[in-house]
Amino acid sequence: MSRFLHTADWQVGRQYSNFAPDDAVALAEARLSVIERIADLASEEAVDAVLVAGDVFDAQTVSDRTIRRLFNAMSPYTGPWILIPGNHDAALAESVWTRAQRLGAVPDNAHLALRPKVLEFAEAGFAVLPAPLTQRHTQTDLTGWFDQAETPLGLLRIGLAHGSVQGILAEEVDSPNPIAANRADTARLDYLALGDWHGSKEISLRVWYSGTPEQDRFKGNDPGNVLLVDIPKAGAEPRVEIRPTGQHPWIQMTERLAVSSDLDQLIAKLEQQPEKAVVALRLEGEITLLGKQQLEGSLSVAEARFRSLRYDLSDLSLLATDEDIAALHADGYVGEVISELRDEQNGDAGEIAREAMAILASMLLEKQAVGGDA
Amino acid sequence: MRLLRLKAEQLRQFRDPVEIRDLEPGINLFIGPNESGKTTLVRAIRAAFFERHKSSSVNDLQPWGDSAAAPTVELDFEWQGQSWKLVKSFLKKKLCDLTVDGTVYSGDEGEERLSNLLGYEYAGKGASQQKHWGIPGLLWVEQGSGEEIQGPVEFAGEHLKAALGGNLGEVTSSRGDALINQVAAERAKLLTATGKTTGDYAKAIAEVDRLQEQFEALQDRVRQYREQVDRLGQLREEKARAETDRLWESYRQQAKDAEARLAEVMAWQRDQDRDQQALEECQTSIQTTLELLNGFQDKQTELARREEEKGEAEQKQADLETRKPGHEKAVAEAGQAHKAARKTLKLAQQHQQRKELARELQGIEADLESDTAKLARARELHSVLLENRQKQQSLEIDPQAVERLKGVTSELDHLAIQQDAVATRLQIDLTDDQSITLNGERVVGRSEHLLIEPGEVAIEGVGTLRVLPGGEDVAEIARARQNLTDDQESLLSRLRVTSLAEAEGRLKQLQELKQAIQRDESLLKESAPEGLEALSDRLRLRQARKDELASQIQALPEQDDNSSPLSLAEAQLESAQQVLESAEAARQKLTGDLSLAEQALNRAKQEWERLNNELQAPDRKQREKQASDRLIELRLKESGLKERLAEREKQIDQAQPDVLEQDFERFNKSADAAEQQQENRNRDLIKIQAFLEAAGAEGLEEQSAELETELDRANRRRRELERRAKALDLLLTRLTEHRLELTRQLQAPLQRHLNRYLQLLFPEASLTVDENLIPEVLIRQGLGGEERGKFEELSFGAREQTALVSRLAYADLLLEAGRPTLIILDDALVHSDAERLIAMKRVLYDAGQRHQMLLFTCHPDNWRDMGVIARDVEELKG
Repeated sequence: MSRFLHTADWQVGRQYSNFAPDDAVALAEARLSVIERIADLASEEAVDAVLVAGDVFDAQTVSDRTIRRLFNAMSPYTGPWILIPGNHDAALAESVWTRAQRLGAVPDNAHLALRPKVLEFAEAGFAVLPAPLTQRHTQTDLTGWFDQAETPLGLLRIGLAHGSVQGILAEEVDSPNPIAANRADTARLDYLALGDWHGSKEISLRVWYSGTPEQDRFKGNDPGNVLLVDIPKAGAEPRVEIRPTGQHPWIQMTERLAVSSDLDQLIAKLEQQPEKAVVALRLEGEITLLGKQQLEGSLSVAEARFRSLRYDLSDLSLLATDEDIAALHADGYVGEVISELRDEQNGDAGEIAREAMAILASMLLEKQAVGGDA
Repeated sequence: MRLLRLKAEQLRQFRDPVEIRDLEPGINLFIGPNESGKTTLVRAIRAAFFERHKSSSVNDLQPWGDSAAAPTVELDFEWQGQSWKLVKSFLKKKLCDLTVDGTVYSGDEGEERLSNLLGYEYAGKGASQQKHWGIPGLLWVEQGSGEEIQGPVEFAGEHLKAALGGNLGEVTSSRGDALINQVAAERAKLLTATGKTTGDYAKAIAEVDRLQEQFEALQDRVRQYREQVDRLGQLREEKARAETDRLWESYRQQAKDAEARLAEVMAWQRDQDRDQQALEECQTSIQTTLELLNGFQDKQTELARREEEKGEAEQKQADLETRKPGHEKAVAEAGQAHKAARKTLKLAQQHQQRKELARELQGIEADLESDTAKLARARELHSVLLENRQKQQSLEIDPQAVERLKGVTSELDHLAIQQDAVATRLQIDLTDDQSITLNGERVVGRSEHLLIEPGEVAIEGVGTLRVLPGGEDVAEIARARQNLTDDQESLLSRLRVTSLAEAEGRLKQLQELKQAIQRDESLLKESAPEGLEALSDRLRLRQARKDELASQIQALPEQDDNSSPLSLAEAQLESAQQVLESAEAARQKLTGDLSLAEQALNRAKQEWERLNNELQAPDRKQREKQASDRLIELRLKESGLKERLAEREKQIDQAQPDVLEQDFERFNKSADAAEQQQENRNRDLIKIQAFLEAAGAEGLEEQSAELETELDRANRRRRELERRAKALDLLLTRLTEHRLELTRQLQAPLQRHLNRYLQLLFPEASLTVDENLIPEVLIRQGLGGEERGKFEELSFGAREQTALVSRLAYADLLLEAGRPTLIILDDALVHSDAERLIAMKRVLYDAGQRHQMLLFTCHPDNWRDMGVIARDVEELKG
């Protein structure tokens, strides 16, 4: 029986531009630490090999340090790592791979499959048929040669490719590199390990996308896993087990606020989210000036609890109720200005009007706090 | 609010209770001299409202020296249908009881109600001060402070705005101004006054720009990097292909083939060149042989020509010879004709000479005749002249002397007349036979005598009478006459005449003679201009010539009629001469031609002989035959060569040597290029490889992603700040606008009331108020148009009047807002002149229609026309 760990789309070197600096650093760091966990898992599960199906690096020109750190992170598992390039790290004439080799960063147990050539692991009883990308994008099916590829009898035929399976994911993948849907059959593969799709997905009994081991975008397609694949013998049906590895679930929420209790519900919902989550919150509807103050307080608390909290309040109208105005002592013309701004917040310059209203409200509140003892 | 009753006791001047009842709803006038208690009354009202009953700082309310007094004020008033009663005591008896329609509010509670009603505050500690007085401070004017308006309005400000706001249907903002300041301050952190970015905002923009620039530069490098990667792949592929193909080797082989083929063709070309040369040599030989043959042919032709020439020369010589005798004859004939002509000419010349001599003789004979006549006449004239000249000498007289004689004679005549006139007349009339002697002369009968000198008349027998002509003139005339007579005689004698007439006759005769002489002289000159001698000489010479001519003519032959005239003879000679000359010339030329013809004939003969001899040489035929044979041989060789050349030429052309040469060059160059390209590729590969290794180590895309992160962050910050700046700007604009709008709304009714009163004081005037409702500028219509005066720059009187008008306007506003108004004026308008005072009284009366007014004055006369009965404060104390 052979056992593999199937993973892909590590995207090491990825930067998170939309995040606060410390969040961005932590998220980038998480992409490396998950490799350590994969290595640990590989050791624990005593797999025969770790199959990495492309997009190991996020870009060709990552720093030398990043390259070294990646290979260092693989060190807990000393068995064979079989890696192919994907569209982000294609095996071009000069690539991150050639650099890694030049740097001497690639350990002996890491097999870089940069050419479409059978890799035999006779002792372990399997042969790998890699379909590395040697261009950033291609319109031809790089797994085509699997059909004719000969492997010694008795060895498992394991395909390793990066791209989109035709007719199944065509619309959703991020590259056009096509893979025939029946490749496992035509090429008599025991298992085809795929990368490019960031969620874990079964295409057929023998064909799987492992998904990225650490989530990197707001897409709830079951990312953050590796696949533990057991193949009893050549031709036998593989057993695939999904193992979670991600640290930071990415959660996207859109909530509508209408009545004041909605706000309480929102706060409760936020509190239910896991701690290390990366949360994107979008609010719609309307909120009173006082409610806004309360909301901001709650968001501030939530921000501290999550790995990252980003919120978009641009579709959240501010209501200036009579209570608001009374509470803010916004009498006289100040009150008029607030009403005016409130009415304008849905117009062309709505954002500015809303901001102006928020500033005014906060100043009034501040004054109220200061003026209390006057 | 209507004050009904006021009672005060133990209060300053009022030790005993003083009470004022039945206060009118309008104007109440209180009069009294200074110190009579008017001000005490005012103070009592103020104390009742403003001072806390518990206050210990109101000692001034106590009567002089009475520290045990409990100053007390009681006030009854109506407000909104309710009757209010206030009893307030201070110091010794601290009390405040406010009863509103039977409900009692004591102490502080009462006081709060009062302050809320009227709109004022209490002092936190000590006596109440101006700043606490609020609205009453505005409406209750203290003595001597009527022109003060800014302070009271400011202190009443909040109450005014609160009171008036409701009336306007708007609520003023209690914190607006502070808020505006805060917004402005926040805005100033991001934007300058003119809206330019500053502070963090400006920094954020600069940061974005900086990062953007860096980012773009990095992106460029990434792009460049990727291009180089692609190029590397491409080059490697090309290099591998080139190494497989090894094109340069095939090119080299092709070049070699072309070269070999070219060498072959070059050999053909050399053969061709050799044959070409042979052909040329052959053709030269043909040419030479042809020329040789032609030479033989030419000699024969030339001999014939020479023979012909010789014949011609002989013919020519013979021709000339035959023409010779003709010419000789012509010359002889012309010589004879010439001789005859010469003879004729000589004869003609002699005839001509004789004719001329005869003509001269004829002339001389005529001259001789004329000269002989002239000489005779001249001689005659000459003798006459001699005679006349002699005569002239005898008749000679001096014409001047004659003239003088004429003058003297005339003068004498004149004197005689004079003498006659002055002379004493002695008329004598004697009887017959009687006589007398006058100056010795006897006188008889009648006579008259002129006596110019004394005369004696002797009468016989009587004696002698002496007559003496009187006067000097007589004597003088006589003397002059005597002188003249002397002159006359002298002249006559000189002229050898006896009388003037004779002299004149002689003079005339002389003149006539002179004229005759002149005439004769001129005639003589005509006949013999050079004198008689010359004339006679000429005559002699002519005679001699005549004789000579006669002899000459005699010597020459007589002329016959048919002899030729000279001119014809001359012409004939000339033509004869010409004929002779031409005949001689013709003969000369013929002689020359003949000798030339003979020479030519000799030459022609020699040439012919020489050529003839040559042609008759014995080996000539053989040589000609040899040449002909050789020509045939050469022609054969030539055609063989030509054929061979053409054939080979075709062969060479088909081989295309120039193309072969190009092929050789092309393949060689292609091989070079292919090798060079491969070399370049290798070099580029190394270069690109090095570049990529260096660039790759920089982690460009990672850097770029990091920078993008930073740029996004900076952009977000810039957008946030921009939004905040815009929001603050909007906020500031809106707040300011609304505040201004509100101020305008507040001012409108005040303005209306102000203008109403102002019209009574200054027609067509208006008063502007600032945002705090404080009078600002008084605008009046003067003679020169609009006059603007700032309130604080007005005169004291005008300030007081304007301030009072403003207070009344505020009162109107408060009334409209349903607030109590009570106006108290303590000795107001003392600085107004009579005219203004009249106007102000109209103003006050008008206000009195709406407001209760307490007027205190120490100038009762000024205020009697307020339509009310004045109350004397002194009497109140009564």
